[in-house]
Amino acid sequence: MRLLLIPAFILCMLSSATSQNKTIAAGEKLTFAASYNMSGLLNELAQVTMETSEVKTSKSTLLKLKCTATTYSKWDSFFKIRDLYESYVNPKTLTPYLYNRDISEGGHDKFMKYTFNHRTNTVASIMKKTRSNGTIWEEKKSFKIGASTRDLVTTLYHIRNLDIHKASVGDRQNFTVLFDTEENVVSIKLLGKETINTAIGRKECYKLAISINNSNILKGSNDNILWLTADDNKIPVYAKFKIAVGSGELKIKSATGLKY
Amino acid sequence: MKKLFSILGFITAILALILAVTPLFNIAFIPAIAALAFGILALVISKEKQQYKKPIQLVFLMTIIALVLTTYKAVYTESEVGNTEKMEQKEEQLEEESIQELEGLEIDM
Repeated sequence: MRLLLIPAFILCMLSSATSQNKTIAAGEKLTFAASYNMSGLLNELAQVTMETSEVKTSKSTLLKLKCTATTYSKWDSFFKIRDLYESYVNPKTLTPYLYNRDISEGGHDKFMKYTFNHRTNTVASIMKKTRSNGTIWEEKKSFKIGASTRDLVTTLYHIRNLDIHKASVGDRQNFTVLFDTEENVVSIKLLGKETINTAIGRKECYKLAISINNSNILKGSNDNILWLTADDNKIPVYAKFKIAVGSGELKIKSATGLKY
Repeated sequence: MKKLFSILGFITAILALILAVTPLFNIAFIPAIAALAFGILALVISKEKQQYKKPIQLVFLMTIIALVLTTYKAVYTESEVGNTEKMEQKEEQLEEESIQELEGLEIDM
């Protein structure tokens, strides 16, 4: 029995690593409002966007996946956030080639770049940090990664590309995500279907629980939940995550340029 | 007892006033309601004993200011994104650099 399971597992891993993109198209833009919820009182903190666009090089056409987080103007004088995460991927398989993370949070700036080499399963990373005296500290690294390891942005889009309709309630899948030059295992569990009201209408959604193994963030089994529409677009419409006091929420405001 | 409710009323009223002027103004409703409750309790006790009411009136005044400010902000403040010009410039620059780097990579299509 164990001998039968090993090839099945390898086949499963291979299919997830080279799965075809059926959901994400260039020109899609999703806008969300991130808020902090305390005893039912919502405080809108930031606008989060997820955008896709086509990028042409002399040899190929790639898909650029971009996520941004920007605090609302009322917060800018207290804690200004201007975060940019982007990944250049193969439009057919969503395999990442280049990842950039440029964040500015409350005056602290950090830049991170990963260049993926899928032949040798290695990543070349560059990290730049601005010190308090204004000088820049740069660190270059090269390290091995697993065959199915993806960056954060690509993983978010890859989840939308899963065949969730084939999964049954309670099914769990693990993903390896590269973050801060470390591989983290993110676990996603299907909790079921739920119909919820959103800014883009009443939607039937897949309810997914997300947790990161061996990490303090997104801890707990069913505290961090993501609702993806149960249609072909599988867009995230609502997310709820537990924080120290109260909870955080991500609600969709608009969705344009969808494939279906 | 009156002293305790007055002190609690003061603390919650000041907290409500502070929160009302910050972007977290929605949360100011919680201490404001608590301040009102403490104020009423202190007022009832002081009425029974015919005591001095000036501090309680101050608690009510601060709470009303906090509630008016919070309600006004809740109704008229719209969440708008601030200046993102710098981020957009950075993004354009990053895209140019990324395309140059992608030209040098082996990409299997």
